[in-house]
Amino acid sequence: MFRTKKALFTLTALITVLLVIAGCGAAKPAGTNTEASQTAAEGQQARNSQAEQPAAEDAVRVIEHAMGKTEIKGTPTRIVTLYQGATDVAVALGVKPVGAVESWLEQPFYQYIRSDLEGVTVVGEETQPNLEEIAKLKPDLIIASKMRHEEIYGQLSQIAPTVTHETVYKFKDTVALMGNAMNKQEEADALLAEWDARVADFNGKIATKLGEEWPIEVSVLNFRADHARIYVTGFAGDILDELGFVRSELLQKEADNGGVVLKLTDKESIPSMNADVSFVFLTDPGSDEAVQKTYEEWTAHPLWNNLDSVKADQVYQIDEVTWNMGGGLISANLMLDQLYEHFGLQK
Amino acid sequence: MNKYITLRARSGSFSLLLEKRAIIVLLILAGLSCLLVIAGLSVGSSLVSPLEVILHLAGAGTGEHAFVIETLRLPRILLAMLVGGALGVSGLILQGIIRNPLGSPDIIGVTGGASLAAVIFITCFAGGVSMDWLPLAAIAGAACMSSLIYLLSWKKGVTPIRLVLIGIGMAAAASAMTTMMIVLGDTYSTAQAYLWLTGSVYGADWVDVRSMLPWVLLFIPLALFFSKTANAQEMGDQVAAGIGVKVQLHRFVLLFISVALAGSAVAFAGGIAFVGLIAPHIARKLVGRSFGSLVPVSALVGGMIVCLADIVARTAFLPLDLPAGIFVSGIGAPFFIYLLYRNRHQ
Repeated sequence: MFRTKKALFTLTALITVLLVIAGCGAAKPAGTNTEASQTAAEGQQARNSQAEQPAAEDAVRVIEHAMGKTEIKGTPTRIVTLYQGATDVAVALGVKPVGAVESWLEQPFYQYIRSDLEGVTVVGEETQPNLEEIAKLKPDLIIASKMRHEEIYGQLSQIAPTVTHETVYKFKDTVALMGNAMNKQEEADALLAEWDARVADFNGKIATKLGEEWPIEVSVLNFRADHARIYVTGFAGDILDELGFVRSELLQKEADNGGVVLKLTDKESIPSMNADVSFVFLTDPGSDEAVQKTYEEWTAHPLWNNLDSVKADQVYQIDEVTWNMGGGLISANLMLDQLYEHFGLQK
Repeated sequence: MNKYITLRARSGSFSLLLEKRAIIVLLILAGLSCLLVIAGLSVGSSLVSPLEVILHLAGAGTGEHAFVIETLRLPRILLAMLVGGALGVSGLILQGIIRNPLGSPDIIGVTGGASLAAVIFITCFAGGVSMDWLPLAAIAGAACMSSLIYLLSWKKGVTPIRLVLIGIGMAAAASAMTTMMIVLGDTYSTAQAYLWLTGSVYGADWVDVRSMLPWVLLFIPLALFFSKTANAQEMGDQVAAGIGVKVQLHRFVLLFISVALAGSAVAFAGGIAFVGLIAPHIARKLVGRSFGSLVPVSALVGGMIVCLADIVARTAFLPLDLPAGIFVSGIGAPFFIYLLYRNRHQ
C-alpha cells in the first residue's frame, strides 16, 4: 500500500517538475523571437530610410487582404511573387519581379511570359517557397496566397510587407490586390476595364453569330494518366461563366455546391461531360505516354461518341498552360484570343 | 567488473539500468547533434561560417545573420530534432510492447489516423478555416484511431498479436480513405495534401517549437520512468506477470506515451513515419537492449535523422526547398543497412 502511494507521489512530482521546465523552456524562445523580429524590423527601417524617395511617394498605404492589413510605403520596386497568377499579373502591370516561384510546367517559367522574366530569381516551388532565397533578395513587397502560404505568413511579413490573396486562380482579384499593393491602381483599373470591354465585345459578337442557340453549354475536360476531370469552376470555368457560356444542369449543380473539379475514374461517367462544346486538354502529354493512352481509351468509348459536342464535332484541343496553369490576366487574355479563333469571331 | 550503473529510488518504485558503454555512446551522440545543429545553422541559400554561428549563439555575433539564423533556421532545426526524437522513442516503445522488430507508429494507427484527419481537413476546410487548426485535427485523428484500435483489440486484456493485426487492418482502411479524400478533393488542395503526407518541417516557427517541446519534455522522461516494466514486457506476458508487473496497466500506459509522442510529432511535421521504425533499431545496434539507455539514444538518433534529412532537403536542390520526408528514408536506410552489415558476425 505504502509503496504504491509513494510511486504515485514520485510520478506526480516528476510530472509537476517537467511541466515547470516546459513552461520555462517555452518562455525563453518567446524572448528570442521578439528580439529577432525587432532586429528584422529595425533592419527594414534602416533600409527604408536609406532609400531616398520623393516625399509624395512616401505615403503609407494600408492594404486590406485575405490575412489582415499590411502597411506599404511608397511604390514597391522589389517584388516577389509566390503564385503563378501573381507572376503573370506583375508582368501585365509592367513590373518585372525580383523573384518568383517556379512554374508547374515548362520550368522555370511558362513560355508565354518567359521573355518578360529574364534574370528573375527562382525562389523555389509554389507549395514550399524558399524563405532564405526570398530574404536574400531583400524585397519590399511579397505577393502570396492564403491558400498556399498561410503557415509562413508570419515569416514572410518579417522579410517584407506581404499581401495575400484568398485563392490562386481568381485573376481579377489578383489584379486589384496587386494594383493596390504596388501603387499602380490606375494601371490595374485600366487593365480590368480593358478586360471587361473584351468580355462585352465577345459576348455581343457570339450572341449575334449564334442567334437562337446562344447561350450554349460548355465543358472543360482534362485527361490524366489515371483518370479524367471536368473543370467546373476554377480559372477557365470562371472565365467561361463571365463570357456568358452556361453549364449542363448536372455541372451547374456541382458549381452551386462549390465544386471546382469533378474527377472521373470510370468511363461510365462520361455522360456527365455532356455539353454543346467541349474544350479538352491533356496534362503534360509530352512527358507521359499514359496520358495519351487514357485520352485514346476514353474517346474510343461508345459513350464518348454519344456526347452532343462529339456528335456536332465541337470538341477543341486547348493549351493547358493558358487555360489552367497560368492563372493570371495575360493567360486569361490568351484564352480569350483562342475562344475568338474557335468561334470564328472578329477581334 | 560491473558494466552497468543502476539508478534506483530507495523504495524501488523507480529504477534505471544504464550501461557504461551507453553513456559514452550517448555523449558522443549529443556531441554529434550539436555539430549537426551548427552545420544546419550555417548552410542554406547563403552560407554563414560555423564560427560566426557559434559567436552568434553565444551572443557575440555581428547580428548580420540574426534573421536567417534565429527566425528561419533555428526553429526549423529544433522542430526537426524534437519530431525525430519523439518518433524514435514512440517506435522504441511499440517495438518493445508488441515484441516485433517491425513495430512503428503506423501499427497503432497514429500515422494513419492523423493522415486521414489532416487530409479531410485540407480538402474540406482549407481556405475557410485557418490552417492553424491542422495540427489539432491531426492529433485528434491519431487519438481517435489509436483508441479505436486499442478497444477493438481488447479481449480480456490486449495481446500484442491482436494489437498488431487489428492495427494493420485499420491502417489499411485509413490509407484507403485518405486516398479517396485526395481523389475527391480539388486540384489546389491536392498539392497541399500530398505535401502534408510526405512530411515536412518547412515554415517552422518558434510557436511550433514551443508547442512541441512540452510533449517531448513530458513523455520521453515518462518513458524512462517506465523503463523497468518495458524491459520486463519484452520477455513475454507470462514472465512479466510472474515477476510482478501489472502487464495490462503498464501496457496501456506505455501505449499512451507512444501515441502521445508520435501524435504530436505527426501533428507538426506530417507523415514522416519511417523514423519510428529505424531509429530504435539503430539505437539497439549502438547500445544493446537495456530500455533505459535505449530511450535517450533512440531520441537522439531519431532527431539527427530528421534534422539531417531536412538539411539535405533544403540545400541539395537550391533554390528548391523540398519536404524533409523525401529524404528521411534515404538517409536512415543506408545507415541501418551499414550497421546490419557491420554486425553480421556478432
